[in-house]
Amino acid sequence: MLFFLGHIFPYITITVFLTGMTWRVLIWLNSPVPFQLTLFPAPQTFTGRVMSIGWEIISFESLWRGDRILWLWAWLMHGSLAVIIVGHIVGIYTLTLEFTLIGLSPGASSALSAGLGITAGIVCFLSLMVLFYRRTAIDEVKRLSDPVDYFVLLLLLAIVISGMHMRLTSLNIDLTAIRSYLAGILTLHPIPIPRTWIFVSHFTLVNILLLYFPFSKLFHGAGFVVNRGMLTEKPPIYPTPATRAGEARFS
Amino acid sequence: MKIKVPMYVAKPAELKAIGFSYTSESDQRDLAIKVMAELRNSMRSLMVMLETCTKCGNCARQCHSYLGTEDYNNFPAARAELLRRVYKRYFTWAGRIFGTFIGAEGFDEDTLGKWLTYFYQCNECRRCARFCPFGVDTAEITIMARHILSELGILPRFMQGIALNMKNTGNNMGIPKPAIMDSAQFMEDEMREETGLDIKIPVDKPNSDILYIPSSADFFTNVDTMLGVAKMFHVLGANWTIPSTILEAANFGLLFNYQVMRSHNLRLQQAARDLGARLVVQGECGHGWRAAKMYTEGCNGIFPFGLVHILEYCAAHLDRLRFKRLPLRVTLHDPCNYTRAGGVIEQPRKIIRACVEEFVEMTPNREDTFCCGGGSGILMDEMMDIRLKLGRKKVEQIQAVGDINYLAIPCSICKAQIPAVLKHHGIEKFEMGGVMDLVGKALVFDK
Repeated sequence: MLFFLGHIFPYITITVFLTGMTWRVLIWLNSPVPFQLTLFPAPQTFTGRVMSIGWEIISFESLWRGDRILWLWAWLMHGSLAVIIVGHIVGIYTLTLEFTLIGLSPGASSALSAGLGITAGIVCFLSLMVLFYRRTAIDEVKRLSDPVDYFVLLLLLAIVISGMHMRLTSLNIDLTAIRSYLAGILTLHPIPIPRTWIFVSHFTLVNILLLYFPFSKLFHGAGFVVNRGMLTEKPPIYPTPATRAGEARFS
Repeated sequence: MKIKVPMYVAKPAELKAIGFSYTSESDQRDLAIKVMAELRNSMRSLMVMLETCTKCGNCARQCHSYLGTEDYNNFPAARAELLRRVYKRYFTWAGRIFGTFIGAEGFDEDTLGKWLTYFYQCNECRRCARFCPFGVDTAEITIMARHILSELGILPRFMQGIALNMKNTGNNMGIPKPAIMDSAQFMEDEMREETGLDIKIPVDKPNSDILYIPSSADFFTNVDTMLGVAKMFHVLGANWTIPSTILEAANFGLLFNYQVMRSHNLRLQQAARDLGARLVVQGECGHGWRAAKMYTEGCNGIFPFGLVHILEYCAAHLDRLRFKRLPLRVTLHDPCNYTRAGGVIEQPRKIIRACVEEFVEMTPNREDTFCCGGGSGILMDEMMDIRLKLGRKKVEQIQAVGDINYLAIPCSICKAQIPAVLKHHGIEKFEMGGVMDLVGKALVFDK
C-alpha cells in the first residue's frame, strides 16, 4: 500500500493533472469565438486588457461590488492558499531557511517561516469553514449546491487539518526526509515515502485533490482567464478592415 | 410539454410559415443534444461558461428577474443550471461518471418546459456577468438555450409573429411599403406645421450618404423619436434615407435563433449597398444595437460601411446644433444593451444635458443599470403578470429619483415595457420617451 501511495499514485496524479489541464484549456481555445462578447466599459488596448484581468485576479473586485462578506472570506481563502502553496515550495526546498536570503539568522528564518505557515493555515481553515457554513445558511446557495460542492470544501479542509496537525502537535516531522522523498519523485528516482502516517495522509489527500482538479469546478481559475479574455475583447470597428475580408466568423 | 408555460407557444402551422418545423416528442432529446453539440463546437462561450460556475451565489441579489419574481429558477446561476445540468451529463466525463453527485442530470419530460419558462424570463441584460467573478454571462447561456428550443420548433408565438412580419415586410410591426410612405408623409406634414420648414423623411432615396435604421415602432407609437432624428439630420444638412426593406433596428433573431439573426443582419448590409450609403446609423433600439455592432462581422463577414448609433452620431455633432433648453427635470434609464453590451454610455447624458435645464442620475446607473424587465423581447401580453415583476426593480429606481418631468428611455423595448409597468403602479406624473425626442423639441432652426 505504501509503495502504491508513495511510488505510483503521485505519478498517476501528475500525469492526469497536467494532461487534464492542458487538454481542457486546448479544447476551449480551439473552439472559435464568432462574436465579440465585450462587456462594456472595456479596455481599449492589450495592456489595458491584461491590467483589467490582473486587477480582478488580485482584488476580486466583482465580489467586492456584490457581496462584501463573500468577498472577504473568498479573498482570505485564496490569499492564504497562495501563501501556503508558495510556502510549501520555498520552505521545503530551503528547509525553512528561506529568510536567511534577506539576512535573517537560521533560527529567526525558521521561526518566521513557521509563524507565516501557521497563520496562513488558520486563516485558510477559518475561511473554508465560513464558506462551508455559508453554503448551508443562504437559501438559494444551499438549493444550488450539489454534494460535490461540499465534497470539495471537505477535501480542502481535510488537507488543511492534516497539514496543521503536523505543525501544531508535538509530532517530530523530519522535513529533511520529506524533502529527499519529494526530490526523488520529481527527479524520477523515487525513494520510500517517510513512514509518518499523518504525512502519508496529507500527501495522499493532496494527490486526490490534484487528480480531481482538472475535471471539477476547481478549474475555475482557468475558466476565469478564458472567460475574461472574451469579455474584454476589443469591439469591432466599422467599416471592417479589408485585411479581415472574406470569411464570416460564424457559419 | 408537460408543465404549463406562461406564454402562448407557436403552433406547427405557424412555425412552418417562418421556415421552422416542430420536432416530435420522441426526437426532441436527440435533436437538442445534437444542436448543443453544434453550438459547443462553434462557440467557445458555451463551453467555458457552462464549465466555470462555482455556485457562489453572488449573482442572486444582482438579478432584477430573481429580485422581482422571487422564483428560485430565475436566480441566474440556477437558470444557467437548467442547461448546465444537461450539458454536464452529455458532454463532460465527470458528469457521465458521477451523475447527480456533481450536478449532472439527463433529459426528462420537464426539461424543455422549464427551459421555455425560465429562459424567457431572463432579459439577457448581462448584469450578472458584471458581478460574476468569472464573468459567466447568463445572457449568453439564455441565447443558446433559446436557440436550441427554436431548433426543436419550440418558441413563443410572439417571437413567431415578429419573425413572420420581418419575413413579409422587413419590419417587426408588419408595416407594408405604402403605409411607410404614408407615415413618412404624415410626419413631414406635421413638422411643416410645427416649424414652417420643409423637413424631409426620405424613404429609399438612392445615393444617400447615410442609411438611417429606425425602430419600426418609431413609425407607429414613438413618432417623436423619428421627428427628432429627421430634424437633426435637416439641421446638419445630411444626405440620408430610410430603407423600406429593413425599417427595423431590432433584430429578434438574437433573441431566439442565430440563423434568423444572420438573415436579418444580411438585409442591413443589402440595404446599405442598394442605396449607396457609406454610413449606417442605428436608431433607438437596445438589443438591435448590440446585434448590429457586435454580431454583424461574425454573422456575415466584411461590412464595408461605417456603423454608429444615433446617440453617438448626435453627440458627435452637438457643436453644430443649437438648443433652447427645455424647462424639464429629466432622468435617464440606461438600456442594458447600450451600456453593458454596446458601449453607448456617456453620449445620451451629453445630449440630454444640452437639451434640458436639469438632468438627474438614477441609481445605480451606467454599466450597473437594472433592466426595464422587457429586455430580450419579453413583451408578450399574456405574460403581463411576470413582466410587472421583472419591472419592479426599475420602478423602485425611478421612484427613488423623486420628482421628474421626463423619463428618457432610449430603446423601443423599454418604451413598450416601462410605461405599461408604471401605469400599473399608478405612476403617471411625467412624460416618457427617447433621447432624440428631446433633441427634436429643443432644437433651434436657422431660418
